[in-house]
Amino acid sequence: MSKWCWLFLIMLCWIGAGFAFFGRQEKQNRNSSVLPGQADRIVSMAPNLTEILFALGLEDKIVAVTLHCNYPPAAAGKPKIGTFWQPNIEAVIAAKPTLVVTLGFEQQKNLAERLRRIGYNCLTINIEKVSELFEAIDRIGTATGKQREANQLVSGIQKKLNGLTALVGTRDKVRVLWVVQREPLRVAGRDTFVNEMIELAGGENAIGPTVYKYPPIGAEQVIASGAEVIIEPSMTPEDLVAQRDKAFQCWNRFENVPAVFNKRIYVINGDVVSRLGPRLYEGVESIARCLRPELFAD
Amino acid sequence: MSAIIEVENLSFGYTPQSMVLRDISFEVMPGTFLAIAGPNGAGKSTLLNLLCGLLSPRSGTIRIDAAPVESYSTEALAKKVAVVWQESMPVFGFSVIDTVMMARTPYYGPMGFESEADREMVAEALEATDTAGFALRPLGSLSAGERQRVFIARAMAQNTPILLLDEPTNFLDLKHQVGIYDLLKAAQLQIGKTIVAVTHDINLAAQYCDATLLLGADSDYQYGSAKDVFSAEQITRVFGVKVFTGKVGKEKFFIPLGKFAKDNGEIGASPNS
Amino acid sequence: MNGQLTAKKLAVRTASGLIALITVMAVCSLIGTEKVSLKAVVDGIGLQGAVNPDYEIFVRVRMPRIFLAAIVGAALACSGVVCQALLRNPLADPYILGISSGAGLGAIIAVISGLNWTFLGRSPIALFAFIGAIGTVWLVWFLGRLTGKFHITGLLLAGVVVNTFFSALIMFLTLVAKSQQVYATIFWLMGNMIEEDFLVLWLGAGCVVAGMLALFYIAPQLNALSFGENDARSMGVNTARTHIIAFGVAAFITAIAVSLSGLVGFVGLVVPHAVRLIFGPDHRQLLPLSGIIGAIFLVVADTFGRIVVAPAQLPVGVVTAIVGGPFFLVLLIKYGRKVSWLK
Repeated sequence: MSKWCWLFLIMLCWIGAGFAFFGRQEKQNRNSSVLPGQADRIVSMAPNLTEILFALGLEDKIVAVTLHCNYPPAAAGKPKIGTFWQPNIEAVIAAKPTLVVTLGFEQQKNLAERLRRIGYNCLTINIEKVSELFEAIDRIGTATGKQREANQLVSGIQKKLNGLTALVGTRDKVRVLWVVQREPLRVAGRDTFVNEMIELAGGENAIGPTVYKYPPIGAEQVIASGAEVIIEPSMTPEDLVAQRDKAFQCWNRFENVPAVFNKRIYVINGDVVSRLGPRLYEGVESIARCLRPELFAD
Repeated sequence: MSAIIEVENLSFGYTPQSMVLRDISFEVMPGTFLAIAGPNGAGKSTLLNLLCGLLSPRSGTIRIDAAPVESYSTEALAKKVAVVWQESMPVFGFSVIDTVMMARTPYYGPMGFESEADREMVAEALEATDTAGFALRPLGSLSAGERQRVFIARAMAQNTPILLLDEPTNFLDLKHQVGIYDLLKAAQLQIGKTIVAVTHDINLAAQYCDATLLLGADSDYQYGSAKDVFSAEQITRVFGVKVFTGKVGKEKFFIPLGKFAKDNGEIGASPNS
Repeated sequence: MNGQLTAKKLAVRTASGLIALITVMAVCSLIGTEKVSLKAVVDGIGLQGAVNPDYEIFVRVRMPRIFLAAIVGAALACSGVVCQALLRNPLADPYILGISSGAGLGAIIAVISGLNWTFLGRSPIALFAFIGAIGTVWLVWFLGRLTGKFHITGLLLAGVVVNTFFSALIMFLTLVAKSQQVYATIFWLMGNMIEEDFLVLWLGAGCVVAGMLALFYIAPQLNALSFGENDARSMGVNTARTHIIAFGVAAFITAIAVSLSGLVGFVGLVVPHAVRLIFGPDHRQLLPLSGIIGAIFLVVADTFGRIVVAPAQLPVGVVTAIVGGPFFLVLLIKYGRKVSWLK
């Protein structure tokens, strides 16, 4: 039995030694308020964050972005640290950042946590609603010492949006079906930022409240929705005309839906409407052009 | 000299309603060769399991070396009793010598390695059972008979005063059947091992054993020397089959007779009607 | 291998194995998507405040990952050895008694309940996974005993039933969860190496090595048990005690491995076989060598997963499945005829 006693004793000593050596070092938490002076090497972990940083005039301070950051064009030239979904933590560290800006969903939250534990400054921001976008611009402005630019950016966007709302009016909302995927058919529900953009553009979602944010739907629901306009955002901006023709072919089987009947199916550039960023107004305007083409006839 | 195995009023049943063994008593002196014979289902293997502590009696006691079987720890009992089972299934490819070495497990040092003494014991056992020739081959590559000899070697390497065997000659050819019995007898005579062997072969057993336990159905048992226990009437009653009794010198032998048995007029014997 | 195992042979083989492991770990720590210069790393030791990404990457990202991979690989391989010995089944692996589905269920419950507190600096997923794993083993043990004392078949059946039921629960919860949580859970279930605190690594390593030692202590008993319970008992093995220690320790180190890195498959199944085929079935040797080779296997697999589709990362469980599956098939075909117990 004594060999078991030895084992037990050695284990206790090991555990004790572990806590003695490493227990102190655990508290590495920097608090989430970031000093503006530290933001001279910034890594952005999402395309919309990159856009915000560029819009605030921080182009020189950005040292790395994700593979998907394609706007503004200067961003595409920056060093890359992996994709939006799977960032490469080694590349982040190699970029020697003083500030890492991430979004708030699980994957990126974990990454921010890991970086904080190693000792890096991270700013985690949720941008899932339009109001959160304005907050985000504000926070990033504060963190990087660009409050003035941030305020200007926010008020600029809000002014343009108000102008658009005045133009399209608040009555006669156009029923819109926002199709993100054709096979299987998947649409944007009411709990999304796309929905907010639609409403800002003077429309309303043809689909009622759903459990999922981007639910797959069946033919029944398409017909019951009575959509007046169908919008498909496209991730390949080349040749939108050809894509629109193809869309008409595919939707032909729903000839009883007003949108199909009236040939109001639009394929638009997905870039500005797939991310919630400083080009919000451009996105909402592109939607409004589909809903009320007569207002933009100039 | 006191008995090394004492069985007193032993009763056992797998369920309380059906008793396989009822009120069995016998004693085995050290250095005896005991053969246990009887028809299928009479409880021979059950008795063996009880003797080595795998099962507990419902009533009565079994004493090994004057202490009840229950009082021994598994390790202590393994130093008194070694068992050769009817069927041992090797799952992984242990070699012959590794298998036999496992018998020395109760004697290992604290870190679980064998000593010189253990190795010698194993070498002797391999020699005695004529298995040294394929010591390094995996167990699964041997024939059933060779495997059986390996398990007997293992039990011998365990170096215990008592050796229990459950039908040890089942898969062996004639030469090896006799060889095994010779081996067991030698162990008995030279080292003084007590051998208890459950067997179906009453003739071979009769040649070698000193004592016999003939276990019939309903625990109708006879204990005594082979001469006393094995008689044509006993065998017919216990096994329910007619036998032909023959004699070679002073030794009697019995051959069961079925419906289609050939004409049985042979030298020096009278058929049993 | 021919010849008998002696203490000296075992010591030599274990030492060589450890040297090989350390070498592999050192080499793999220099492999990655970023170039790390060893000189910069050495310069960076002890320097506080200076920005030294080579040092940071090496010490804070790569080393913890590699240590974690070694710990998890060793734990799963040894656990696999024990499960195969106890269940007397060459196709057993550490997850057969419900640990995988129990841990997965614990993890997904943690994810869905959206708890925010941390335990030892980590999310509650690890803790819940650990509790789920241990709890499930206890449940399977309890159910198995209902069928009779330590009946192996009863244990196996209970394990299958519990695994099936919990897997169904996991599917149901996955359906009900929000999409982000689902992604997080599935990612966890595929097995991944995330850098840990040194404290967590230290404790984990200690537990796993202690577990391996405990199993080594009962290795002769495991040898005897390979022949069946009757044989083992007649050779002086206290089968009840051996079963409890073996299952308990194997479950414990597997639960630790799973809670640290998610479900990594194939290590516990393939490594014991490979080692057994080369070195023989003696558990006194099988246990330490499987642990070492399991560690090497997982370190290499993780390194592979890090670089093959860079900058993305293949979860290590995917790599082990891709490598382990065909490897197992090759083993089966090549040695199936030679090895007796596969007949």
